[in-house]
Amino acid sequence: MDNDFSPAPLNDQDLDALFAAAQRDTLELDPKLLAQLQTQAAAALPQPAAPKRRRLRMSGMLSQVVAQFGGWPAGAGLAMAGAAGVVIGVSPPDAVLDVTSAYFQTESLSELSGIGLEAEFNWEDS
Amino acid sequence: MALDTCQNLEDVELLARFAKGDRAAAQVLTARLAPFVFALAFRMLGNRAEAEDITQDSLLRLWHAAPDWQPGQAKVTTWLYRVTSNLCIDKMRKTKRHSAEAVPELPDDRPNMERRLQDRARAQALRAALGGLPDRQKQAMTLRHLEGLSNPDVAQIMQISVEAVESLMSRGKRSLAHALAPQKKALGLYDDG
Repeated sequence: MDNDFSPAPLNDQDLDALFAAAQRDTLELDPKLLAQLQTQAAAALPQPAAPKRRRLRMSGMLSQVVAQFGGWPAGAGLAMAGAAGVVIGVSPPDAVLDVTSAYFQTESLSELSGIGLEAEFNWEDS
Repeated sequence: MALDTCQNLEDVELLARFAKGDRAAAQVLTARLAPFVFALAFRMLGNRAEAEDITQDSLLRLWHAAPDWQPGQAKVTTWLYRVTSNLCIDKMRKTKRHSAEAVPELPDDRPNMERRLQDRARAQALRAALGGLPDRQKQAMTLRHLEGLSNPDVAQIMQISVEAVESLMSRGKRSLAHALAPQKKALGLYDDG
């Protein structure tokens, strides 16, 4: 036999009793979780800005120029080569000294380069 | 700043200190807000593990929001009510919880065990019925009747008018009254007449 009886809906008093029960139905937060949450909070603290880092930052244009020459590694190589040039110029090794002495002991620049002889030769030909 | 000094500060002041990297403020704020968030999440979900996940998630969101926090915009607790209740609703939606499926965690060394058992049964039945409501009704009913907030507070949290809250509440109560009717006797609710 079909039973078409439907129960009466709860009244406000019933609902209030359920809400009150749900409010009482609580658990304490686990102290271990609280400690973990505090660790997470400390880890999430924003880091204060470091002023020293700002000094190291290049301006936009300088960084572009450095990038054009291959970045800081290439810049360091260039600086090294420059420093080596200065050292060689101020206090040249013997081998370098011999080459430069031989070079500047020639009688004239045209003789050294051979330009004068070649010009003379060409003149005679024409 | 010292922990003792931080204890006397408002949430919003602590949050501002947090944003400046104050570790003591972080500790005090966590100790103050975590139990509050956990209680709300547990009342909505009825499951410790899920409530703990939601607590972690809510607080992480707060920490991320701290640097951009505008002191005049909202109370920290209002913001947390909104975020936590929304996260709980998302969780309920994902798990499609429409029945009392939470595992009971009953202390066995407390007095009034019968009363607590009945409270647990009623709370679970209520949560299950709330789970069947549309999201906005569920949120309004939870904040008003489980958290005990006023209608204007609920309106502020949900960012709607007080009239809209009253409407949601009215429809929600009617739905709950019908949904729970078959369990009336099982929940120890008897007609007076």
